[in-house]
Amino acid sequence: MSTAGANAAPKSGGGWFTLRRRRALLPAMFIAPGLMWLIVFYAIPIVSQLWVSLQTGNPDDGFTQTWNWSVYPDSISEYSDQLIRSVEYALTATILCLIISFPLAYFIAFKAGRWRNFLLLLIILPFFTSLIVRTVAWQTLLTDDGFVVNTLQSLGVLGENGRLLATRTAVIAGITYNFLPFMALPLYASLERMDRRLVEAATDLYASRWTAFRKVTLPLAAPGIFAGTLLTFIPAIGDYINAQLLGTSQNYMIGNVIQSQYLVVREYPTAAALSFVLMLGVLVIIGIAARALGLRRLSEAAAA
Amino acid sequence: MTRQPDERGPQQDEEPLEQFLERLVAGEPISRRSVLRRFAAAGLTVGSASAFLAACGGVEGTANKGTTVDVANVSHPKEDFSKVVFSNWPLYIDQKVIPPWEKEQGAKLRYLEDYNDNEEFFAKVRQELESGSGIGRDLVAPTDWMAARWIDLGYAVPIDKANVPNAKNLQDSLASPPYDKNRDFTLPWQSGITGIGYNPKKTGRKLTSVKDLYDPAFKGRVSMFTEWRDSAGLVLLGMGKDPTTATKDDYTEAIARIDEENKKGQIRKFTGNDYTKDLAAGNLWACIAWSGDLVQLQADNPNLEFLVPEEGAMTWSDNMLIPQKPTTAYGAETFMNYVYDPEVAAVIAAYVNYFCPVKGVKEILAKTDPELANNQLIFPDDKTLAQLHAYPSLGAAPERELTAEMQKVTGA
Repeated sequence: MSTAGANAAPKSGGGWFTLRRRRALLPAMFIAPGLMWLIVFYAIPIVSQLWVSLQTGNPDDGFTQTWNWSVYPDSISEYSDQLIRSVEYALTATILCLIISFPLAYFIAFKAGRWRNFLLLLIILPFFTSLIVRTVAWQTLLTDDGFVVNTLQSLGVLGENGRLLATRTAVIAGITYNFLPFMALPLYASLERMDRRLVEAATDLYASRWTAFRKVTLPLAAPGIFAGTLLTFIPAIGDYINAQLLGTSQNYMIGNVIQSQYLVVREYPTAAALSFVLMLGVLVIIGIAARALGLRRLSEAAAA
Repeated sequence: MTRQPDERGPQQDEEPLEQFLERLVAGEPISRRSVLRRFAAAGLTVGSASAFLAACGGVEGTANKGTTVDVANVSHPKEDFSKVVFSNWPLYIDQKVIPPWEKEQGAKLRYLEDYNDNEEFFAKVRQELESGSGIGRDLVAPTDWMAARWIDLGYAVPIDKANVPNAKNLQDSLASPPYDKNRDFTLPWQSGITGIGYNPKKTGRKLTSVKDLYDPAFKGRVSMFTEWRDSAGLVLLGMGKDPTTATKDDYTEAIARIDEENKKGQIRKFTGNDYTKDLAAGNLWACIAWSGDLVQLQADNPNLEFLVPEEGAMTWSDNMLIPQKPTTAYGAETFMNYVYDPEVAAVIAAYVNYFCPVKGVKEILAKTDPELANNQLIFPDDKTLAQLHAYPSLGAAPERELTAEMQKVTGA
């Protein structure tokens, strides 16, 4: 936008380049790098996706622009199963992440003492290896004749012929595991900077520990909860690695469809349309969250 | 020569880190396509990334631009060349055969293991091919159906047979595939069988038929390939049809049959090469499998069996093909000639364990490694060969539709 103007301005020099004008340009110069980033890595790809999605044709004879808007209702109804499944899995995994992360973050923030940094390191440590390697390791863990399955079978949780690998359970567990730090770390950050004296004050005023938690700790942790929820849910809904490696074709998510439409079937318009729908869906979710929470609190939370 | 995995000659020194790590984690025996295939399946290799970019940018078609090639009067006279660039599948050669050729020719072979997946490689070089330029390779190794596509689209350079006298050693059964009747454009690199791999300890009985894959006792312990040519081809054999001459409707019917089994929960997964790990771990009891993988898996797990079902099995070749505008067609042909020398082919066969397209190799290995020479999966006898069926040639549009139909069944 005004980046060109900002760069060209010093050269034009002279009378035009007054202090007042320089001051006026300053915000534009500061915003330029971020704006360029957004244009190059967000706006251009989105427009290009939209453009490709409206074409028709086939990979052998080529695709031509026909403004075929029907690709949207068609691909949504065609792959509604996978879309709904993506929301279901991502939501379940996000809730599980929250249930696991809250006590964890609470413990690290308030009870861990000098072990605090060490425990934080332990949360992050597995993420030094790649997502694929970690997920493949889960394949080995959950293998049919492995320790986990055998134990669950002898406890009667899994049937005699039951299995974990290549099931819905494994996929959701994989997503939960892979995105746990995205929930745990913002939660920790918001709990850690909480003023503990407020809880003391509440108990001094005859609030039970549960009431104090509900009325003081929880509202103060809310920004962390929301940030963690967004940071977990958004990547989880587009994930396809876990479904690919831990699930069956019955567990495939929308990411798997997009990947295969691009690289195997080469039906680019469908793939582009689905990507666009997914992106739009995520934007709507963020929008609702922003509405519910107020944009300021949301960005505060994200900064945490 | 023994076939201990650690004595299989030098490893690639440029092994990707992730690949290395994954093998470390999985404790998986080295399998030709396995690891990279899996990454490719997950859409994670650099190749896929560029395919993805190509997909985003270019949407021109690849249909035949009307080029016809005079295959009768091909002449690539002897010329000096400094290097030949060959893109082949991973773990598909014993690298120790390369230096003698380099010495003999006074040239370098740049041997790239970047052919990880037929569709993916094609997507990667598609735009260069369309624009009529070379792709920086003198040899590539597409599987039959993909080789057919390259030839149809005019992206292949015919072979000057005078430069490849050793081509006479080609196995008769491979001499005239439907897409290249006189082998004017291609020479097989290695061939293999798509049959059934299973673990008799798990199944509790010997399998004999394609239909055994539908046994309710194996529910959730069976896998098939995502690739319809292999899976639907085998299923068609189970239906008593010949997959080579079957029509598109037959294939659609076979895919519907696969869908039916999948909906019942019979099929645990649709895989690329990653079935090997699940089969070795006991997660899969029976699956559609490639012969060379089973030979490699048996080295660690002698229980596993490879079955050529009584109804028959699919066979395929990965083929050496010279892509358009090579830097040296003559150089590529000298290398083809070299690997068709039975002595050289024997070294490669002992390493890769797929079946060898070159005559005379069995006799050589009979002296050095009788066990290998008697392996039916590497040197199938006439009875086995008679049971093998080639992929069909249905044409670009029907095959594309089948790919889409199969993708729908496999979940995406």
